[in-house]
Amino acid sequence: MNYVEWLRVRNFLRIVVIVLAIFVGLGIILRVSVSRYMSPDVWVHQAMMHPGVKVTHATLPDGTQRTIIDDLAQSTHAVIDDHGYAGKHIVITEPSSRAHHEDKQVNVGSIQVFENHSGNMTTTVIDTNGAVPMVYYMLLADIVAIIVATILAAPLAREIDGHLEITLTKPITRLRYALGAIGADVAGIVAASFLTVLAFYLCQLLFESARLDFSGLNSRAIVMGLAFPLAWYAMLCAGTTWLHRSYIWVLVFTLPIAAFVGVLTIIPTNSVVALFVHDVAWVISRVDPLTYVSFAQPNEHGLLTYSDSNFTLRLSMQILFFVAYSALAIFKWQRVEA
Amino acid sequence: MSIITISNLRKAYGGFPAVDGFSLEIPEGTVFGLLGPNGAGKTTTFKCMLNLARPSGGSILFYGKPLVPETFESIAYVPERSVLYEWMTVNEHVEMTRRAFTSFDPVRARELLAQFNVDPRKRARDLSKGMKTAVMVALAFARNVKIMILDEPTGGLDPVNQRHVLSLMINEAAKGNTVLFSSHQIGQVERAAERIAVMDSGKLILEGLVDDLKGDRKIVEGIFPDIGFTLDGIANDARVARTERTERIVRLLVTGGAEEIAARLSGAGAAGVRVLDLNLEDIFLYAVSPATATADVVAKESST
Repeated sequence: MNYVEWLRVRNFLRIVVIVLAIFVGLGIILRVSVSRYMSPDVWVHQAMMHPGVKVTHATLPDGTQRTIIDDLAQSTHAVIDDHGYAGKHIVITEPSSRAHHEDKQVNVGSIQVFENHSGNMTTTVIDTNGAVPMVYYMLLADIVAIIVATILAAPLAREIDGHLEITLTKPITRLRYALGAIGADVAGIVAASFLTVLAFYLCQLLFESARLDFSGLNSRAIVMGLAFPLAWYAMLCAGTTWLHRSYIWVLVFTLPIAAFVGVLTIIPTNSVVALFVHDVAWVISRVDPLTYVSFAQPNEHGLLTYSDSNFTLRLSMQILFFVAYSALAIFKWQRVEA
Repeated sequence: MSIITISNLRKAYGGFPAVDGFSLEIPEGTVFGLLGPNGAGKTTTFKCMLNLARPSGGSILFYGKPLVPETFESIAYVPERSVLYEWMTVNEHVEMTRRAFTSFDPVRARELLAQFNVDPRKRARDLSKGMKTAVMVALAFARNVKIMILDEPTGGLDPVNQRHVLSLMINEAAKGNTVLFSSHQIGQVERAAERIAVMDSGKLILEGLVDDLKGDRKIVEGIFPDIGFTLDGIANDARVARTERTERIVRLLVTGGAEEIAARLSGAGAAGVRVLDLNLEDIFLYAVSPATATADVVAKESST
């Protein structure tokens, strides 16, 4: 019964696939371009140029290519274990005067850097093949999902715009039709998220054997990453169901307006006008799913965490918005006349 | 047996009555033409019948029961304007209809599309207005339904395809199915419809079998020697629906006994008394605009 909506979703997903395929293609080009820089050989070669540097190569029993660099002049010692496609493990020991005097861990994608200060020496451990937190993938997936959700978010308004004579003369109740249309779009938005994760996973695979981290905050990131676009979709759906052709303007302008309102909620309230604007924006922002988005952020130790302790509340609001706005859209749909 | 019963249907838009107490019974197995000037309420009536618009009052029954979604398995509707999805191909419209209705025959649909010379690979936006109408008609007639409701089903079609649509409608009635259609082309209605109803200002003003309506209604015209003639009570005859006097000429629209009234008119002193037949167009025009209609009929007759 919702063939048209599925067809629409399929067409949008085709566009998503094409765009993501372009990204993967760029990844392949990048991989080919930087292939000669992905080996430590260049760095080792440069190090060997310095006087007093001793470089030793060895092959370990498991096939690991080990390179040991001793720079007696700089009191620096580096051990590079190249596991090939499985990444590299690098340990650098150097005088503290050349490093930060604190312990620090930084994660950037699959690269984990850990610095340890002990006495007058600092040890830096670099692993290039750590598990990639899903939060990174979900951030990318959310960008695509929001675009797809915004484009799809008028399934009922599109029918009102000249197709009710087809839609409402099918042997199906209006409720079931609306649920089917929204269900098709939800499937499309989730599929767009999945395709984005898949595409960037493929990009990562071009450079290393990628491992994904679904533990801890990452599972939260996945849930929030799916809930927010759906709540956003439902809000637009409710906002367009009573419109004919002008639903397009709602789709185009809602995101910038929502972002603008969000900015207004954080302006300094140092005047009466500013306070008034702030308060109005604050009230409006309460019904906007964008207000309740929760992103993981690095803490003082460089570890990703949800700084907001109200994650459950925020997730609940996204789910509530999805249900309430969908119900509002269906309520309006029940009263539509050709 | 009435397959569709409309009772005291009312629909108002912002206080303006688009349909005002309209009642009609449509017998099974007939081609039924609904006529009316622009804004008469024909399309609104169709929309109310199909729950596309919510009636302000009255009732509509199919097979003696109110419309439910399942009823649409046995009703096909072709709206007045194109409701095709511009971005979809004709083939995708066929597939959409196949998935929606169990009785839909895609092979028959493709046959009909071929008869209308529609390329099913084309997107709707690349079709002419007439081709879009043809697609909607083909999809409707491939559904094997008991009731077809067609709002201007020949709009934009060339004469050959118009004739084809009329043939399809007559064939449906021959199979025992019911076709309710509206058209501004009265010649088509006269050719296809067995019964007609005429709407004006949201009300039913005329209804019956086409042959009966044509058979009963005549114009009786006579010319008197001077202006000061009298009709000796002829105008008060119950069969005289309207009397029109223009100087020495009198025209009477009669609903029966035309020859008898013509004889009475001669007896009253009129010369050159004639009895003129009405076609469906005349009947329609008389119904919706009586003064114009009778003058027009007489003018045509005089010119021949």
